[in-house]
Amino acid sequence: MVYDFSVVVEKFPIFVPAAIETLKITAASILFGTVIGLLTSFCRLSKLKVFYLPSTLYITVIRGTPILLQLFIVYYGMVGLVRLDPYPSAVIAFGLHNGAYISEIFRGAIKSIDIGQMEAARSLGMTGFQAMRRIILPQAVKRAVPPLGNQFIIATKDSSLASTIAVRELLLKSQQLGSSTFRPMEYLIIAGIYYLIITTALGYLVHRLERRMAVSDRLG
Amino acid sequence: MEVAGLYKSFGELEVLKDISLTVAEGEVVVVIGPSGSGKSTLLRCINFLEKSNAGDVTIDGRLIERKEKTINRMRQEVGMVFQHFNLFPHMTVLGNVIEGPIQVRKMKKQEAVLLSEELLEKVGLLDKKDEYPAMLSGGQKQRVAIARALAMKPKVMLFDEPTSALDPELVGEVLGVMKELAREGMTMVVVTHEMGFAREVADRVIFMDDAKIVEEGPPEEVFNSPQNERTQAFLSQIY
Ligand SMILES: Nc1ncnc2c1ncn2[C@@H]1O[C@H](COP(=O)(O)OP(=O)(O)O)[C@@H](O)[C@H]1O
Ligand SMILES: [Mg+2]
Repeated sequence: MVYDFSVVVEKFPIFVPAAIETLKITAASILFGTVIGLLTSFCRLSKLKVFYLPSTLYITVIRGTPILLQLFIVYYGMVGLVRLDPYPSAVIAFGLHNGAYISEIFRGAIKSIDIGQMEAARSLGMTGFQAMRRIILPQAVKRAVPPLGNQFIIATKDSSLASTIAVRELLLKSQQLGSSTFRPMEYLIIAGIYYLIITTALGYLVHRLERRMAVSDRLG
Repeated sequence: MEVAGLYKSFGELEVLKDISLTVAEGEVVVVIGPSGSGKSTLLRCINFLEKSNAGDVTIDGRLIERKEKTINRMRQEVGMVFQHFNLFPHMTVLGNVIEGPIQVRKMKKQEAVLLSEELLEKVGLLDKKDEYPAMLSGGQKQRVAIARALAMKPKVMLFDEPTSALDPELVGEVLGVMKELAREGMTMVVVTHEMGFAREVADRVIFMDDAKIVEEGPPEEVFNSPQNERTQAFLSQIY
């Protein structure tokens, strides 16, 4: 037998620190991306060119270029300006990357709310800001949860690209151990299982959240 | 309330041409007319959900300046009820009604709840206060929407075809609430196709066609002996 799968079981626990690193990059870039995404979605929905044009350019550039290129631009390309460590580089690059997609998720969700909701809120005398915060956003966020969950799962998997700039996350760890022990498959499988656990747990959490938020839709 | 010289167009399409209208305190004005004649746009221009191209709105003697702040303050005085209810689906019935008083009038929650429960009682839906709108029938939704508008203690209520989206058997309960309001002396402008309601409740009926007020007068006059031939044609179609 070429493979020795007992290695998978035996070495599984030593990946915990790498898994934590993966979780940290993912969580930070999701958080960063959500903040940028929300702000960008407002800019994209604005009628004012000063907001609309830059945000549209940002989204076009991010969605039209590879995420690996974006990571390299932050880590290698910016060297002339600032020298960033691998971890912050990854968080910035992935945060900006996710921000563009999250922005489009929020924008779509906000636009999907019936115009009558805004009109009813304004007709009570609410300001545009109040109407957005109290009436539109709560409904939009609810609609955004499934696609956001999907994006968070993509972000988890994309975080593996940080291995290319020496962030000690799951994929890098498995590559290093795999080549030093000449058992690449076993270690790649370990990394794969960790990714599966994380993404499945995320999927489950999102599903739970969806169900909890559906209270107001339920009929008698 | 007074509307003077209102003009509104959407691109090339002129939807309101020189509309002037005065509604006295406590008066109930019913606006009728064919679809597309500009009835909704008229109501929406009154509370600036639509910005008219020209014309003034005066409420309670105050000319409404076209400033965000003035408009927001004016909207507290002008309740609006929509054809499609537009209840806030993520809030309970009570949540819908207390929202305006708390957010806009800065009323204390306790006080807003008391006021709202009173209004829900009045529209006959106090027992539904903890339900979400999705669980209500159309007629119940519209009654909640009326309570929501009333919670702002408006001086004028605008109704845009409040029963048009309802199953026929649910129309009565909504009209009942509106009749009650009229009896209590609320100033109302009602766009509707319910001619029975117009006959019974209206102090004045306005017939709009093609962006203009074509005819107006007491309901008996407009319905029994319409002067304008377009009014005659419209009424003969309805009956
Ligand atoms: N937001 C809008 N943009 C463009 N055209 C509109 C808009 N709202 C209404 N219209 C047009 O204005 C005309 C009058 O509409 P409306 O006031 O809704 O009539 P009514 O309520 O009497 O049926 C219609 O021809 C309608 O298509
Ligand atoms: Mg209409």
